[in-house]
Amino acid sequence: MLDWLWLVPGLPFLGFLILFAGQGKMPKRWTTLVGVGSVGLAALVTLLIAVEFYGTPEAALTYRQTLWTWMEAGSLKPGFSLYLDGLALSMLFVITGVGFLIHLYASGYMYEDEDFPRFFTYTNLFVAAMVMLVLADNLVLLFLGWEGVGLCSYLLIGFWYRDPENGRCARKAFIVTRIGDTAFAIGLFLLFRELGTLDIQDAMSAATATWPRDSGTATLIAVLLLGGAVGKSAQLPLQTWLPDAMAGPTPVSALIHAATMVTAGVYLIARTHVLFQLSTDAMQLVALVGVLTLLMSGFTALTQTDLKRILAYSTISQIGYMFLALGVGAWSSAIFHLMTHAFFKALLFLTAGSIILSVHHQQDIFKMGGLRKALPVPFATFLVGCLGLTALPPTSGFFSKEQILNAVWSSPTGGQLIWAGAVLGAFITAIYTFRMFFIVFFGEQQTEAHEHKGFKFHVPLIVLAVLAAVGGFFHLPLTSALPHAGHDHVPLGVEVTAIALPMVGVLLAYLLFYRQIPALRQLFETGPLKSLAAFFYSGWAMDWLYDRLLVKPFVALARWNSKDLVDQLPAVVSRGAALFHRLLSLSQNGQLRYYVATMALASLVVMAVAVYTG
Amino acid sequence: MTMTELHALLPIIVIAGISVVLMVMTAFFRHQRLASLITYGGFIAAAVLVAGQTGSGPQQATPLLIMDEYSRFFSLVILVTSLAATMLAYDYLRRSDVFKEEYYILLSLAVLGAVVLVSSNHFAAFFIGIELMSVSLFAMVGYMVQGRTRRAVTLEASVKYMILSGVSSSFLLFGIALVYADFGVLSFSGLHSLLGLHSTSSYSQIGAAMIVVGLAFKLSWVPFHMWTPDVYEGAPVPVTAFLATVSKVSVFAIIVRFFIESGAFRLEALVQALVWIAVLSMLVGNGLALLQQNIKRLLAYSSIAHLGYLMVAFIAIAGSNLANTNLAVEATAFYLVAYIVMSLIAFGIITTLSSPERAEEAETLAHFRGLFWQKPGLATAMGLALLSLAGIPLTIGFVGKFYVFAAGVAGQLWLLVGVLIVGSALGLYYYLRLIMEMCKAPDTEPAISREETPLENRVVLSALGLVLLVIGIFPNGLITTVHAAVAVLR
Repeated sequence: MLDWLWLVPGLPFLGFLILFAGQGKMPKRWTTLVGVGSVGLAALVTLLIAVEFYGTPEAALTYRQTLWTWMEAGSLKPGFSLYLDGLALSMLFVITGVGFLIHLYASGYMYEDEDFPRFFTYTNLFVAAMVMLVLADNLVLLFLGWEGVGLCSYLLIGFWYRDPENGRCARKAFIVTRIGDTAFAIGLFLLFRELGTLDIQDAMSAATATWPRDSGTATLIAVLLLGGAVGKSAQLPLQTWLPDAMAGPTPVSALIHAATMVTAGVYLIARTHVLFQLSTDAMQLVALVGVLTLLMSGFTALTQTDLKRILAYSTISQIGYMFLALGVGAWSSAIFHLMTHAFFKALLFLTAGSIILSVHHQQDIFKMGGLRKALPVPFATFLVGCLGLTALPPTSGFFSKEQILNAVWSSPTGGQLIWAGAVLGAFITAIYTFRMFFIVFFGEQQTEAHEHKGFKFHVPLIVLAVLAAVGGFFHLPLTSALPHAGHDHVPLGVEVTAIALPMVGVLLAYLLFYRQIPALRQLFETGPLKSLAAFFYSGWAMDWLYDRLLVKPFVALARWNSKDLVDQLPAVVSRGAALFHRLLSLSQNGQLRYYVATMALASLVVMAVAVYTG
Repeated sequence: MTMTELHALLPIIVIAGISVVLMVMTAFFRHQRLASLITYGGFIAAAVLVAGQTGSGPQQATPLLIMDEYSRFFSLVILVTSLAATMLAYDYLRRSDVFKEEYYILLSLAVLGAVVLVSSNHFAAFFIGIELMSVSLFAMVGYMVQGRTRRAVTLEASVKYMILSGVSSSFLLFGIALVYADFGVLSFSGLHSLLGLHSTSSYSQIGAAMIVVGLAFKLSWVPFHMWTPDVYEGAPVPVTAFLATVSKVSVFAIIVRFFIESGAFRLEALVQALVWIAVLSMLVGNGLALLQQNIKRLLAYSSIAHLGYLMVAFIAIAGSNLANTNLAVEATAFYLVAYIVMSLIAFGIITTLSSPERAEEAETLAHFRGLFWQKPGLATAMGLALLSLAGIPLTIGFVGKFYVFAAGVAGQLWLLVGVLIVGSALGLYYYLRLIMEMCKAPDTEPAISREETPLENRVVLSALGLVLLVIGIFPNGLITTVHAAVAVLR
C-alpha cells in the first residue's frame, strides 16, 4: 500500500492536468467530479497508507520512494523522491482530509461562478504542490512545492481578477512572501555549500556531525530558513500580506490561508528541527517571533469589523502559537496545534463563507447581527469553531494550546515573561472570538438572510465541527519523527490561570457585546483607548510603515531610473560604434589614386616590419 | 608526362575543354541555354572526376601541380560553388540586354584558374592560376558594359579592380622573384628547409612580405581592402557572388598550403604583421558594415570581417603544438566552406530579386523591407544566411565560428580571440537589422518584382539553405571530410 504514495500528489496533479486540458469547456458536473474527486481519492489513499503505517512498529516509521532523478550536477542530485514519516503523514491528513472537505464545500460555494473550472484547476494544482512540499525528501523538491503553493496562492487571491484591487492584493502576497523565499533560497545555497547535500535526512545528520552547538553557521542558516518560514506563514515582520489575501474566494481562505499553505513555515521548521536545536539563538528568535506576532495580531483582530479579516488576523495569531511552540522545542505540540487549528479555522472560514453568501456578500459584522435564527446550522458550527479557537475544554484547541503553554513555562527559550504574553494572547483570543460571535448572531438583525442549504454546504461544516470538537483526542504518530518534549510539570496555579483566563475573556465579551454595558462601551469609544484601537485596527500601522520605508523609496528610485541610467553605458558603446563607422567611411571615398597610395603605404609598413623586426 | 599524371590532370583538362567548346560554339551559334548546360555538365563531370580520385593518394603532375586530398577537396568545393553560382546567374543573364554566352567562357576560365591555383605547389602554377582567375574576373566585373543600364558603374568597378589587381600582382611577382633570388627555388616544398633558416640576406624576408601583400589584396585584408565595396557594388551581382566566394576561397586555400609547406610560419615578424592585419580586418570590416545602407556594400564589408575571422585560425596554425595546428587547419577549411554557403545564399537572393533592366540592383534596404510578407521562401533563406553569418547556433556559421574560436583559444591568441568577440558583437547588429527590415510591414508599392522565382534559383537556394542547417546541426560529416583533406599538409 505504501507503494501508492506517489498517488497522493499524483492524483491532484492529474486532476489539474485534466481540468487544464479541458480549458473550462467541460460540463460542470465533470469539473466537480475531477476537481473534488481527485482530492477525495488522494485523501482515501492517505487513509489506506495511514492504516498500514499505524500497523508497523513506531521506530521504523519511515518510507522512501524515488520516482526519478530530477537533475544531476556534481554532488547535487535532487530527485523526485518522496519521504514519508510521522510528521509528513500528519500533514497529509490535514492537507488531503481538510482539503477534501473544503473542495466539497467549494463545489457548492463556487458553483454559480463563471470561472468554476479555473477555480478547481488552481486548487488541484495547489494540493499537488502542497503534498509535494510535505513529502519531499530533499530541500530542492521541497522548494519546488513551496514555490508551487506560492504561485497557486497568488492565482487564487487574484481569482476575481476583474477588480484591480484583488490583483493588487495578489501581487502584495506574492511579493511579500518572495522576500522570505529569497532568504530561504540563500539558506539552501549556504546549506549546500557547507554540507554538500540537500537531502533533508542526510543534511540533518551531517549538521549535527559538522557543527558544534551554537555554531555561527548553523545559526545563520537556521535564521535564513526562518526568514522563508515567516514569509510563508505570515509572521512578523512579513505578516502584512495575509489580511489582504482575504480578497480571494472564501474556500481559498479556508484551504490556503488557514489550514495548509500558511502552516508550511511551521512544517519547514519542524522538518529541519535538528538544525534549530543546534542554535539556542535561533530557537529564541523563533519563540520571540511567535509571541510578538500572536499578541500584535490578536490586538488587531480585536478591532476589525470585516468578518474575514478578523479570521485572518486570528490565523496569524494562532500560527504565532505554533511558532512559539517550535521556539520552545515543543515540536509535536506545534504540529498538533497545526492540525487542530486546521480543523477549527477551516470550519470558521467555511461557516463565514456560508454567512457571507447568505447575507449577499456583506462582510461587515456590524451589518449582520441576529443571524441566530435565520442560519441555524452555521450558528451551531460557528459556535463549535469559536470554542475551539478560544481553547475552551474539551474542544480540540484546548488540548493543543494547553500543551504549548505548559511547554513555554518550563522551556529555557520560553520562560515566564513569554508565557505571560502567550496567556494574554489567549485571553484576547477569547474576547475577539466571542465579540465576533455575539455581534454576528445576536442583537438586532440588520439584514435579511437566506441560508444556502444542501449536502455540499452542510456536510463539510458538520464533519469539520465534529473534528474541531473531538480532534484533541487524536494521536498523531510524531514520536519517531520529532523529539519528544516530555510531559512538562508546571505549578497548578499556572495551569489554572491558563485555563481560566480565556473563560474570563468570554465573559468579558459577553458583557461588552451581548449585554452591551454602557459604561464599558463608553470606555472604548472615547479617549486614548479609541486612538489605540485605531492604531490596532490598522494592523499596528505596519502597512503604513512598509509603504514609507520600502515601497515609496523603491517607486521613487524606479521613477528616477526611468530614464535608464544604466543604459547610458551601452549607449556610449553604440554611439562610439557609430562614430567609428563614420570615421572609417571617410576612408572609402571611391578615389582610385587614394586606394593605390594606401596600398603602397601599407605594403611598405608590412615589409619594414618583416625586415627590421625579423 | 605519364598516363598517371594525365589522369590526375583530367579534371583540369575537362574544365579547360568547356571554355574551348564554348568559344567554338559561340563563334557560330549563340544559345544561352545550351551554353549554360555545357557549363553545368563540364563542372559536374570535373567534380565527378575529382571525387573519383579521392583517396588515391597524392599525385604530383608535372613539377607545377599536386593532386592530393587537400587540392581535391578544394577543387570539389570550387566546382560545386561555381555550379551553384552559374545556375543562380542564368535567369539574371537571360533578362539582361547583353551577349550572354561569353559569360560562360569567362566563368569557366576563372574556375580553371581557381582549380589550378588550389592544386599548385610551385610558384609558377600559383601565379598562372591567380592571374587566369583575375583576368577573367576583370572582364566579368565589367560584363554589363555592353548593356544600357549599368554601363558606367560596371566599367568603373572593372577598371578599379584591374588597376589595383595589377598593382598587387606586381607585388606578388616581385616577391616571388626575391625569394628565388635568395634560394634559387620555386617549389613550396623546396623552400621548407630554407625559408627563415638559411637566409644570407633580407631578400627572402621582403619577398615573403611582398607575396603576403599581393595575396592580401585578393583576400581584401585591411588595409588592402579598399577596392572591395566598390567592386562588389559595381559588378553585376552574379559576378559578385562568384568573386566573393570562389576567388576568396581559392586564394585562402593556397595561402594556407604555401605557409605550411614552405615553412613561412617561421617568419615571426611576418606572422606578427598578420596578427595586426587580422585585428584590423575584423574591426574595420565590421565597423564599416555597421550603418551601411547598401546591401552589396554591407556584404562586402562583412566579407572583409569574415576573412579576418579566418585569419585567427590561420595564425593559430603557426603554433608549435601539433594538435593545435591540426585543429587550426581544420578550422580554416571548415570556415571556408561555411563562408561559401552563407555568402552564396545572400548574393543568390540579391541576384534573384534584381532585374538587370533597372539601373539599380536589389541592393538597398528598401528592397528588403517587408520581404517576409511578399516572398516568404526567399526571406527565410536570407534570414538563415544572415543568422549564419552572425554565428547563431544551429547554423553552419555557428559551427565554423566555434571552430575558429576553439583554434584561437588553443593557440592562446587572446588578442585575436578578444577582437573576434567584439567583431561578432558588432556583426550581430547589422545582420539582425537586415532581418528586422525584412519583417517590417511592406511598403505600399513593393520595390521588388512580384515575379515567380525561377526554378533554378529555387533549387539552388533551397539546397544551400538545407546544407546550412544540416551541417549546422550535424557538423560531424563535414568535420570528418575536412579532417581527411587537411591531413596531407606539411
